[in-house]
Amino acid sequence: MDIDDILREVDPTFDSIPVETRDLQALTRAWIAERSAPELLDWPADGLFERINDRIKKQIEKVEEMTGDMDPKTNFALIVIQTELERFKFLVRSYLRARVAKIDKHTLHYLSTADLRLRLSSTELAYATRHQALLHHHYLSSFLSSFPASLQNLNDTSGNISMIDTPDVDTAVFIRLLRDVVVRGKGTDVDGAAAGQHGDIFILRWSDAKGLVESGSAELV
Amino acid sequence: MYGDLGNKLVQYAKRTQSLGFLPPYQTETVRGVTREVRDLDKDIAQRLEPFGGSFNPQADQATACTLLVNHLSIRRNKRCLLAYHKSRTDKLEELAWKGFDVVDLAGQQVASGNAGSNLGSADGGSSSLSPQEEDYIRQYSDLLAAYKGQWTDIDLTGSLEPPRDLFIDVRALKDAGEIQTEYGAITLTKNSQFYVRQGDVERLIAQGYLQKLG
Repeated sequence: MDIDDILREVDPTFDSIPVETRDLQALTRAWIAERSAPELLDWPADGLFERINDRIKKQIEKVEEMTGDMDPKTNFALIVIQTELERFKFLVRSYLRARVAKIDKHTLHYLSTADLRLRLSSTELAYATRHQALLHHHYLSSFLSSFPASLQNLNDTSGNISMIDTPDVDTAVFIRLLRDVVVRGKGTDVDGAAAGQHGDIFILRWSDAKGLVESGSAELV
Repeated sequence: MYGDLGNKLVQYAKRTQSLGFLPPYQTETVRGVTREVRDLDKDIAQRLEPFGGSFNPQADQATACTLLVNHLSIRRNKRCLLAYHKSRTDKLEELAWKGFDVVDLAGQQVASGNAGSNLGSADGGSSSLSPQEEDYIRQYSDLLAAYKGQWTDIDLTGSLEPPRDLFIDVRALKDAGEIQTEYGAITLTKNSQFYVRQGDVERLIAQGYLQKLG
């Protein structure tokens, strides 16, 4: 902990950041992280998206109310609000699409264990389950049904090759440190470690960065 | 030779990835590969029959080798088939996300010339999708619609480009008739130019009716 952290704790403005702004920050952060991480990350559990959805609805209503007004001043405000709304929508849309793309790519992997299932929101889980069922049915009706019964599975692991594709957790990611920690990375020959300071940016494997990101010591950039 | 047909399918799949449209379904090749798998399986069963379930690979290495090759070929064929079908379904899903009405395939073929989509087949009349694929994409569209329904305000299939301006310049490439916006109705006639709200016309840009300028 350095002087900045202490200052931040006693800073009266820190707690006074309205929840709206903090939600936007949380959303932006989740969006950036989701887009750069090779793996699906946890679905924000604290009702972030319910709040955001409500707010978008409210803004849309407001826009509808204001459209009737012909006053140039309102008109300008209207444009600002609408632009803001479009940007908000884009964030949510892009975030959800990034997740769906990952889920689609490794459906069976994310459905395989209860632990991984927890990362999906309930709607995503329903979507993934249904999509996989559809795909399986499609394969079955296209060609699998005429295969010998022992070969009809989609999750065979015989022959040392698992049919379930998993995300590559060794992809490189960029992280920014949020506090001073020692960053450890696995190397080909030797493992490396570096003392990182708040604000430093590192590039390392996601498997090494994951712990730091999850503990809140770093964020993806 | 074993695997030749499978290889063909993989090549088709690879080619499909870089194409903007879906080439016709290779019914014959798929059937051929499946037949090969069945024949190989029969062959395995026949070879194993005289041993009555107590086959010892050490004692009869020639048979063991044949069995191994047969097994591997079957697995390889399965992988080829899966890859081929998966690449096609991926393509179909992509189209579904982009908002093409894949469900209405019959309509697509008639309109394929002017709707900007190439789903209609080249040889005219018959669809480039297998009946199973049509079935699949119909159900997938339903699933997608259901998932999108959770996020009505956001329009999940909308543009993934970050929005810069609220209003954009567009030029109409075809006659699209009259559309309703918050600022009243505008009539889109060919080659006319408008300054409109992006959200209102996104669909039309995706469908090729309008072109974004600047």
